Amino acid sequence: MQENYLAKWLNNELSEEELAEFKQSAEYASYQKILDASQKLEAPEFDVDQAWATFKAEKMAQEVKVVQLNPFRQFLRVAAVIAVLLTGAYFYLNSAEENFSTQFAERTQLALPDNSEVFLNAASKVSFNEKKWEENREVKLDGEAFFKVAKGKKFTVITESGEVAVLGTEFNVENRNGFFEVTCYEGLVSVAFQGKEHQLPAGDSFVAIDGAILTTEAVAAIQPSWMENESSFKSIPLKYVLAEVERQFDVTISTENVDTEQLFTGTFNNTDLHLALESISTPSQIRYKLEADKVLFYAADTP
Amino acid sequence: MSNVCEETIFNSIFKDNSKTVFNYIYYKFGNEERANDAVQEAFVKLWENCTKVSPEKAKAYLYTVANNMYLNVIKADKVRLKYADKHSNSITQESPEYVLEEKQFQKKLDDALNALPENQRTTFLLNRIDGKKYTEIAEMEGVSVKAIEKRMHLALKTLREKIDGI
Repeated sequence: MQENYLAKWLNNELSEEELAEFKQSAEYASYQKILDASQKLEAPEFDVDQAWATFKAEKMAQEVKVVQLNPFRQFLRVAAVIAVLLTGAYFYLNSAEENFSTQFAERTQLALPDNSEVFLNAASKVSFNEKKWEENREVKLDGEAFFKVAKGKKFTVITESGEVAVLGTEFNVENRNGFFEVTCYEGLVSVAFQGKEHQLPAGDSFVAIDGAILTTEAVAAIQPSWMENESSFKSIPLKYVLAEVERQFDVTISTENVDTEQLFTGTFNNTDLHLALESISTPSQIRYKLEADKVLFYAADTP
Repeated sequence: MSNVCEETIFNSIFKDNSKTVFNYIYYKFGNEERANDAVQEAFVKLWENCTKVSPEKAKAYLYTVANNMYLNVIKADKVRLKYADKHSNSITQESPEYVLEEKQFQKKLDDALNALPENQRTTFLLNRIDGKKYTEIAEMEGVSVKAIEKRMHLALKTLREKIDGI
């Protein structure tokens, strides 16, 4: 007789010989009786509907407590992550901005995708989106730059102070700490400043200091003086002039008893620091001391 | 992909399995209250984990949860089973001797069943009452089909020896 033959017998898995042999055995009658009696066995009553009702009530109570049961929230969580990734990727791919910047006493020149040229003065930064250049000629500027714009669609320079829009021209934009100056050298420039548009024909300048527009005067030059290694100023507060010296020569300037709000008109050389300091101190009637990369301007009558 | 979290699927799993979960625990411990609690507990757990349990695995999951609930229960209550009176509508009149003999045999079988080890009794009753195949019982208990055949064999053997007074 094979292993576990009683289990096999219940399952009708015995061979004919095995079954015949089993039926011959003395125990067979008892087994058959057990089988017959167990056929009538019944488990206690179980009401499925009642159990379901109990379960639903319990589930409701549970769901109030355990909010994360809702599988839709899981879906939302996953969806949110995917959305963030996609959005991030989209902005990353579309706003892959090109950045160019200069340090103190440094200048650079770069060509935009349409061959427009940008000359970047010291301590300045421009950025633009190369991918979107075709549809949008936009350059963000912080500092000072001279643009020679190739003819074409609208070209916009965006600064914190205002926006400069042109169609094809040469112009200079400077935007630093409350000082905003746009000078047009060729063509026509439109300056949007504090919600108002200002048209600048060639030779005109637009200057605003701390939000106040200064009267503009015509310039005779064909490009900004800094392009020829000179920094020129016309009635500009001294503090902006000194800041320019700092940028051009990478020096630190401090003042003592000097009115930095006084207006300065003049030019200084961007290659010779001594010459530049003389050019500023003499007309302003102040003195200066130079130690390493530190310059101190002080009133002429103090010892 | 079908999901246990879907109300219709969950409902059908409940309808198909709650009674067997109840019986399974009852055969083990002979306690209706525990069996009812096991049904609720098992299905609440299944609902909570409906995202992690596939419909195919749901059954095995239910029995595992129900079983784990009473891992520490050492003493089982007496299992009380009823005998269907299958002759009530029959025309044939049974002799009082026969009825008495049958009653006595049922009493012996009850005692023998209660004396069985819990796993043998559960296997025997799931097969006899619920008509579960050895493969199904093996899945519920998380053991091999061979192990279930062994339990079944031993259950029958022990029952007969007890009833025949060996």
